[in-house]
Order: sequence, then C-alpha cells, then structure tokens
Amino acid sequence: MIDKRFRIAAVIGISLVFLLAWVFPIVWSVMNSLKTEQDVLAYPPKFLFAPTLAAYRDVLFGSGSILPNLLSSFIISIGTTIVTMIMAVPAAYALARLRVPGKRFAGFYVLATQMLPPVGIIIPYFLILRNIGWMDTYQGIILIYLSFSLPFAIWLLVSYFEDIPFEMEEAAYIDGASRWKTLWRIIIPQVRGGIAVTVVFVFLNAWNEFLFAVVLSGNTVRPVTIAMFNFVSVEQTLWTKLAAVSVLAMLPVIVLGIVAQKHIVKGLTVGAVKGGGRR
Amino acid sequence: MKNTEFTRRAFLKSGVATSAALAAAPSLLNGAMAQEADLAPYKAAKIDWQQFKGETITVAVIPATYFDNLITLAPQFEALTGITVRFEKIPPAQIRQKSVIDLTSKTGTYATHAADPMYYSLYAANKWVEPMETYLSDASLTDPAWFKLDDIVPAWRNANSVDGKLLGMPYDGEVTLQVYRKDLYDAKGLKPADDLQTFVSNAAAVHNPDARVWGAALRGVAGAGQNVYIYSSLFREFGGQWFKDGRLTVNGPEAEAALTWYVDLMRKYAPAAAQNWNWPDIADAFSQGTIGTYVDAHSSASVVNNPEKSKVIGKVAYARWPKGPSGKRVTSIWNWGFPINAALPDKRKKATWLFIQWAACAETQARTAHRFAGPAKRSGVNRISIWQDPAYVGLMRGFGDNFVEATLASLQDDTDVDWRPRVPQWPAIGDTLATAIQSALAGQATAKAALDEAQKRIEPMMRG
Repeated sequence: MIDKRFRIAAVIGISLVFLLAWVFPIVWSVMNSLKTEQDVLAYPPKFLFAPTLAAYRDVLFGSGSILPNLLSSFIISIGTTIVTMIMAVPAAYALARLRVPGKRFAGFYVLATQMLPPVGIIIPYFLILRNIGWMDTYQGIILIYLSFSLPFAIWLLVSYFEDIPFEMEEAAYIDGASRWKTLWRIIIPQVRGGIAVTVVFVFLNAWNEFLFAVVLSGNTVRPVTIAMFNFVSVEQTLWTKLAAVSVLAMLPVIVLGIVAQKHIVKGLTVGAVKGGGRR
Repeated sequence: MKNTEFTRRAFLKSGVATSAALAAAPSLLNGAMAQEADLAPYKAAKIDWQQFKGETITVAVIPATYFDNLITLAPQFEALTGITVRFEKIPPAQIRQKSVIDLTSKTGTYATHAADPMYYSLYAANKWVEPMETYLSDASLTDPAWFKLDDIVPAWRNANSVDGKLLGMPYDGEVTLQVYRKDLYDAKGLKPADDLQTFVSNAAAVHNPDARVWGAALRGVAGAGQNVYIYSSLFREFGGQWFKDGRLTVNGPEAEAALTWYVDLMRKYAPAAAQNWNWPDIADAFSQGTIGTYVDAHSSASVVNNPEKSKVIGKVAYARWPKGPSGKRVTSIWNWGFPINAALPDKRKKATWLFIQWAACAETQARTAHRFAGPAKRSGVNRISIWQDPAYVGLMRGFGDNFVEATLASLQDDTDVDWRPRVPQWPAIGDTLATAIQSALAGQATAKAALDEAQKRIEPMMRG
C-alpha cells in the first residue's frame, strides 16, 4: 500500500514540475503585461506590484494599435481552417474507406509535401503569388497556408476515420442511407473528437505562423505575429507592451482549446463505449 | 523650433526614448506639414521635383523611431513631387531576407529598402542595385550644390561603397562608443579607458557582484550583427587583417589574442547571462545600474537615458573606443542606407532617387531630428553639418558628458572601412564567425580551436 501511495505521490510530484515549467512562462508574461517598464527590470523580480493596464491600453488603443493585426490573424486563421476542413474531411474519408486507384501513392504524396523545409519553398511561393498578383492578399496567404495545413489535416483525420468500425456504415447502408448521408450523419459525429483536434491544430498553426507571413504579407495583410516585432525594435525592447500583445495573441487559441476540449473528450468516450477496431 | 537652450531635464522630458508615442504624430502633422511654405527649402534645388508625378514606390524600413519620423514627414515629399510612397515596416532580422528574395527574383517589389552595409558586396556581385553615381551626376535629377554629398558622413558612404562606387545613400547610422558610469568611476578615481588594458582594469575596479554591479558587458549573443559586431573592432584593434595574401583569414595569432581578450573580459567581469545578451539587454542592464561600462552603439544612449525605466540618468558619460595593442581605435561604421533596386523600370528608378535625395538631404535630416515635432529625436543623422549645428548639439548633450565629442571624434578618426570583411559571401561567413565566437564565450572551445574551425568552414564558402 505504501508503495502505491508513494507511486501516486511521485506521479503528482513529477506532473507538478512539468506543469510549473509549462505554466511559468505564461504566468510570467501575464505578470509582465501588468507591470510598468521599471517593475519589469526590477531586481529581485517583483511578484507583488501595483498592476496597471497601461500596456494593454497602449497596444489596443494607442497609436500602434494591434487591433487591425488581430483581425488580420483571425481572417487568415479562420479562413485557412474552414477551407482546410471542407477539403480535408472528404479527402481523409476517401483515403480511409474508398477503393480509389493510386490511393497509397496519393497518401504518400500528401505526406511528401510536408517533407520540404519551408525555407526551401519560400522563393517559389513568393514568385507565384507575385505573378498572379496575390502578394499581400488574404487569398494569397490562405492559399499558401493550405499547402501545409491540408496534408497535415488529411493525415490526422485518416487515422480517425480508420478507427470507425465499418459495420456502422454497413448498418446505415442497409437502412437505405446514401454514402454522403452516411458520411454526414453517421461517420462525422463519430470523428467529432478528431475533427476538433484537427481544427485546433490547423487554427493554431495558421495563427502562429511567422516565416511565410513575413515574406508574403505587406501592409494590407499583417498578422499579429509580425506586428509583435514592432515592440522589439533595434533601439530597445518594450517588455510590457510585448508581454501584453503576447497575452492577447494567446487568448483566442486558449479559448478555442477550451471549447474544443469538450468535443475531444466526448469523442474519446464515444469511441471507448462502442469499441471498434482498425481495419 | 527653438532648441538652442535645451537642458538635460527638458530634453528628457521631451521623452527622447519613448518610441511608444511616436506614431501619434502622423495624423496631427500631416496636414500642417505638407503646406507650401514648408517646401521652400527643397525648391531651392535646381531640379524639377515634379517630373515623375504619378509614380508610386514602396519603401521597406524597419520599426525604429528614426524611420517613423521619416514616415511622418512623407506627405511633404508627396506634396513636393507628386510621387506616392508606401512604407512597409519589416522586423530587422527579416528585412534582409525579404529584400534579398525581392532582389534575386527581380520582382521590383521594393523600390528601395533600409539596407545593411555588409550586403552591398552581395548586391554588387549580382548587379541587383544601381550605382548612385548615375543619379548624382545627372543634372536633371540632382543639384549637387544643394544636395552636398560631401557633407554626408564619409565613413558611412565608404561603408556603402564597393570598389569606390556608392551603392546606397546613408540615412541614419551609428558608431560604437565606450559608455560608462561616471559616478562609479569618480568614486574610484578612474578615467575612461584609453586602451583595452585599462578597460579591463576599470572593469575590475568597479566589479562588485555582491552589490549587483558587474564590471563590464559586451554583446555575447551569436550573430553577424551581434557578437561579430563587437569582435570585429577588437580583431582590427589587435592588428588583425581580414585578408592575407588575398585569402579571407579569420584565425591566426591576432584573432586568437582578440577573442581571448573578449572571452576573459566576459568571464571575469560580465554577468553570466551576458553570453546571450544583445544590445538592448546590455542597455537595459546598464540602465538598472548593474553594469559599470559597455561598448556599444552610441544610439543606445537614448535607452540608458529613458526616464521611464532608467535609474542612471545623470550618471552616464561616454568615451571613444579604447585603443588596442596595435595603437588603433576601431569603431563600427554601421548605417541604414537606401539603394535603388535595379529591377525597376527606368522612370521609377529616377522617382526612387528623388525619394532618396529627399530623405538624405540636410533639410529632411534636420526635420526628422532636432526640428522634429514629435517626442523622438534622432541621434544618427547623416550630415556633418548637423553634427556641428548648435541646435542639434545642444539637444544631444542631454545624453551625458562627452557624448557629442566622442561620437564625432569616432566618426571622423576611428572608422575603418575594413572593419568587417566585405565580401558577397558575408551573410554566411558572418554566421559562421558568430558561432565560433559564441562557442568560445560559452567555454565549449578554446579561442584557437573555435577560430580554426571557423576558418575551415569559411574556406569552401569563399571558393564557391
């Protein structure tokens, strides 16, 4: 018994250490965002201080407001997520279920697009967008983001589709449902957890992307990841404002994570009750 | 503007370093500043400013107050010339990447961009930018008597020239200076270092980590513009030559001595974290009173004098680089210059030249510096005449003792055009050297081993 209790204590202890390591930078950012520049640099580091919202006021409503950049990030990330999901769900289903000629090759091809280092393809992308006049446009950035979010989403979803027992589909066909109706009514509710996970990842990747955004965007499309750099100028780092922007940029992703978690957990339990094997 | 009677207090109140408020100015000033009367000093030039009316050019700059001031005044340029300017702000690390992509693909996206002087060799080797001479010597485009090219800091012009040809017009620049705590030095009866040995002994004298004062700090973080930026001055001061028998050489006895000095100073007298520090970190630490002295860009004076966070205001003084064993002082000759993209159509190249001429001329330099209506004044103006203008000098004196004198003397006497090796392969070579310096600073390799390794990696780059 002692042995077991010790083991639980050890697990909790180790988890706490990890949790602390993960949570600390976030807590620290939040704290810095509420400090004055002087408090940020204070030694020993201040954990108790008179909080101020000045940094938030400046980055939101000051001259260099990041609101347009947040909007820019939202348009890009939501656009990328919607288009990706519309295309990835049927594609993943087809790769998991249908007897399509060249399926294996298609699967590999999808994965292969993920193997190129992004820096290697940035010049071709730049030239393509430049030639079709889509530099610094939302459709341009979303198109480029699709090139890596789509393969990723398809591969993630395929495994979820494969986990659904074929018998469920057969039952639907016997009841007279078409393939589309089966996909929509039977399969998709089953992979809800998988879809939620994929949405979170695709959104997150698009939201955090920097390299392509910095090269392919301009004054019109300017996501928050790039605008953030205005606070790390060549002259000095404006720590409080940088922290405030970071916290603001984290919020949507955290909210999305919390919302999606409900579905992720539900998806897991559904699978657990019904069982099912890989086909 | 009456700036002749600027005291330190008034100067600091004006918030030289508060870059936060900087962009508030455009909307307020646009209307007022674009008026006809304001353009008179430009119209004194015997050229037709309106000859490229209707053209649109895009200019890439970095987020920095000195460019923000220029952007604020851009409506005046548009009123003067009828040319539309779009500015795009790109973070400093990415502006090089993005402009090289633009130049290499010949898309002409940026008519001009804030360029790193170390990139001109690469630009020249590929003919990506236009020689300035073409435009300077064309009487329909430039009035030499009005523009006064010779008034622009010669060191910066040299830095932006390849084989004697000027490729980018300096807009704003810096030199590296010794910045020190007058109060700490006075208490110990120290003088700012005249040579590197004294720099070390000064650092040792004020070094007192128990009281949270470290003797000195230099940039430690890896990067062609970070640790290499400081190391290159040391290397030259120790008598190092970048080229031996026409071969780029980064190792050898002088290099080892320079790097050993750097490593020893950092180990003994800098905070341990300084290995990963860049200039803003050093300035932040100095402003909190924890560093006795550092050598870095003169423009960092605005950070250590920022009333919002500095605790050392009134205790800061400046001096030139300490002399090295070779007897030389070697400061940096960094500047942001504007080149003309060779991929542009002819007419737009000329329109771009008008923009560059406007940005680099004495009138605009003054209007973006001491005569700027917003809070942020520039400390890197490109004109010798402005550095001698009492209105500007009075303002700059607010940064502390000997600031103007040290800056000017460094600009005139301590510059060295071969401060860093100017070769087209610089971006890759700079990175290699940066890694070598870092591994020595971190104690992963001896100075000799690190430099020999760098030499081995650099040789194939120079051949290729």
